[in-house]
Amino acid sequence: MSNQRVSRRQFLNYTLTGVGGFMAAGMLMPMVRFAIDPVLTAKAGGDFISTGTSEDELSEEPLRVDFTFEQVDAWYTSDVTQTAWVFLDGDGGIVALNPTCKHLGCTVNWEGRESDPNRFFCPCHNGLYEKSGENVPGTPPTAPLDMFEARISDDGILELGQVVPNKIVEG
Amino acid sequence: MLWNAKEIGLFIKEKAYIDTVVVPLLPISFTDTTKQEAEQAEFITLLTNLLERQFKGRMLLIPPYTYMSSEVQGSGLERLQNWCEELKNQGFKHVVCLTSDPGWKEHETDLDANLIWMPSIPLEHMDEKYKRKIVDDQVNQLVKLIVQNWQMG
Repeated sequence: MSNQRVSRRQFLNYTLTGVGGFMAAGMLMPMVRFAIDPVLTAKAGGDFISTGTSEDELSEEPLRVDFTFEQVDAWYTSDVTQTAWVFLDGDGGIVALNPTCKHLGCTVNWEGRESDPNRFFCPCHNGLYEKSGENVPGTPPTAPLDMFEARISDDGILELGQVVPNKIVEG
Repeated sequence: MLWNAKEIGLFIKEKAYIDTVVVPLLPISFTDTTKQEAEQAEFITLLTNLLERQFKGRMLLIPPYTYMSSEVQGSGLERLQNWCEELKNQGFKHVVCLTSDPGWKEHETDLDANLIWMPSIPLEHMDEKYKRKIVDDQVNQLVKLIVQNWQMG
């Protein structure tokens, strides 16, 4: 116990600063939290979906890979099945093309017409794409096929992500 | 194209490219065939949706033609004939009616449309993976039929 006496003025000073400090903190904390919130949010995009197809099944010949994920659309949750044409580009890279025709959205098929080997064919209006996804001039499509982001998981399973514009054709 | 606000906008813009319309025919009754009919509705709806995805840019899937089973002979047939006629007048070159109701088979020639009858498969107790495979097979059959139909002009 000290012999120092605390004067009334000092006592009031201490208590008011203390209480004031808490109040200021109570006001500032949420503000700071809101301000830095965008930095803290976990990234929702960039999710990869496992396709169940193993790395060994892939070759330079496009392979049809179906994968399913859950999609929430307002109050309606549904399982959506997507298709991709996946092949190796020869330099160890994986190319996964989105089979949605750039013309009006049909589904294109690899070698879908016998007269056009090594091309993607759209049965609706005879659209053609090269293996790289590049649209063949003179057919209805005006842009190359889109791609999926693709990677191989640690246990050797192919995983596909977001749809991105075709990178091999532009490059 | 599906019958919803977003895709109909595209349909109106690109009408020249869309020359095929799909009409699912779904019966309703409350007799001993009720369960089969519910099953058919589920199966045909699934099938037409998958088919539409394949041929989105050339095909319009419209809301189903529904009728009481007792109507097939008579007023139901007449109404469907009107539908087909109206659709043809709207510029659809190919009108495809898809159904699992055997009652339509005998009226195939009475319709100005391509009537495709598919036996309904009970999907309710089926394993997810097996179900997908079976339905995919059916869709592939349909795809071939439709492409054939297109090639004939």
